[in-house]
Amino acid sequence: MSGKPKVLIVDDEERFRTTMAKLLTVNGLEVTAVGSGKDALEELKAKPYDVITLDIRMPGMSGLEALAEIKKVNPGIEVIILTGHASVDTAMEIMKLGGYEYLLKPTSTEELMNKIDAAFERKLTREQKTRKGEGS
Amino acid sequence: MGFRQSVLPYIASILICLCAVILAFTGSFGFAVAGIFLAALALVTTRKLLEKIATANEQACFLDEKLVQSQKLASIGELSAGIGHEINNPLAIISQETEWMQHILKRIGEKDSKEVTELQDSLKEVLHQVDRCREITQNLLDFARRKDPVFQEVNVNKLIEDLSRLVEKEAILHQIEIRRDFQQDLPLVHTDAPSLRQVVLNLLTNATHAVQKDGKIRIATKSSQNGSVDIIVEDTGCGIPKDHLVKIFDPFFTTKPEGKGTGLGLSICHGIVDKLGGRISVSSEVGKGSTFVVTLPVNQQRGTRPS
Repeated sequence: MSGKPKVLIVDDEERFRTTMAKLLTVNGLEVTAVGSGKDALEELKAKPYDVITLDIRMPGMSGLEALAEIKKVNPGIEVIILTGHASVDTAMEIMKLGGYEYLLKPTSTEELMNKIDAAFERKLTREQKTRKGEGS
Repeated sequence: MGFRQSVLPYIASILICLCAVILAFTGSFGFAVAGIFLAALALVTTRKLLEKIATANEQACFLDEKLVQSQKLASIGELSAGIGHEINNPLAIISQETEWMQHILKRIGEKDSKEVTELQDSLKEVLHQVDRCREITQNLLDFARRKDPVFQEVNVNKLIEDLSRLVEKEAILHQIEIRRDFQQDLPLVHTDAPSLRQVVLNLLTNATHAVQKDGKIRIATKSSQNGSVDIIVEDTGCGIPKDHLVKIFDPFFTTKPEGKGTGLGLSICHGIVDKLGGRISVSSEVGKGSTFVVTLPVNQQRGTRPS
């Protein structure tokens, strides 16, 4: 795997996103945290990211709406839904919208790190394939 | 049946009888016989009609009760979902803060003093209890999702394929292979898709837990001539001992270590499949693996089961 993924945390709960950012940072990731779907879209315009962790229930733009918008702006980015509000049907909806995975809160940092690594690996593999396709 | 309803037919037939007697005294014997016959007929018919009215009234009361009951259950369901969701968020913060404290302790606790070891032990316990709470909220959410099924035509192969992909992401990490063996011309099944998803997801998740690294899971579909469809989930896991097989669908029966399973998954599955008019069965051999078969009627009629 080349380098570490750049991760964007999107969660309206401030304490959650700041501590999560600290935990992921001490595990060697480059992390930014924002509090809404709108801020996430702004952040994506300013900087490239590899993986996003996204809450579903947020005031204003919901996580699922944000996911659809994010995929329009950057289809290659991997999105992990991290929420206390998930069901099998929500998981299906997330997959249809192009989300990579969903995790039910509370989850351990180790579990989240595994998902982020797997999502990043998938992104890199897809990019390599695209490059090969363009080269041939 | 009320007083008026039970007395009315008798009054009517007595009146007709009286008419018959009067007719007999006036010399029309034939009319009298006919009158008595009519009286008997009136008695029987009126009673039958009144019985039907009473049954309809009882049924209306029963439906009213059912409506109130289902409204109550829906409120409890909404409340449970609300509690489940709202608790999950603070639990996530407790869990993270604990992990952060563990991280800080690791940094400062190089001397490994007795106090530091005790603190580490306490924090580990906090995380263990968070896991327990998570199980509880998950059960609350499962309970909240138990609604009356909405039957529609469902492409079972597609439903299973979507779920297999979902589970595969986790399975790949443990080198577990999920093999699909779908009957291509499987008929559409008249069933409730969200409920069926819950059952299949539960069986697939259980199978991934049962098989070790490099294990195999086979998920198959097939239809039979008696108008049913089988969903088969087969694993090469540790298998289930015979004495456990009979209890496998009992609520709270689990072989997982304490705190790892609530023993409600298969019991909920059994309840759902029953509600969908189907049945679920299991066969297993210790050391070789287990096979779960969900049999669903293609055309669900309430209360009927595939033979």
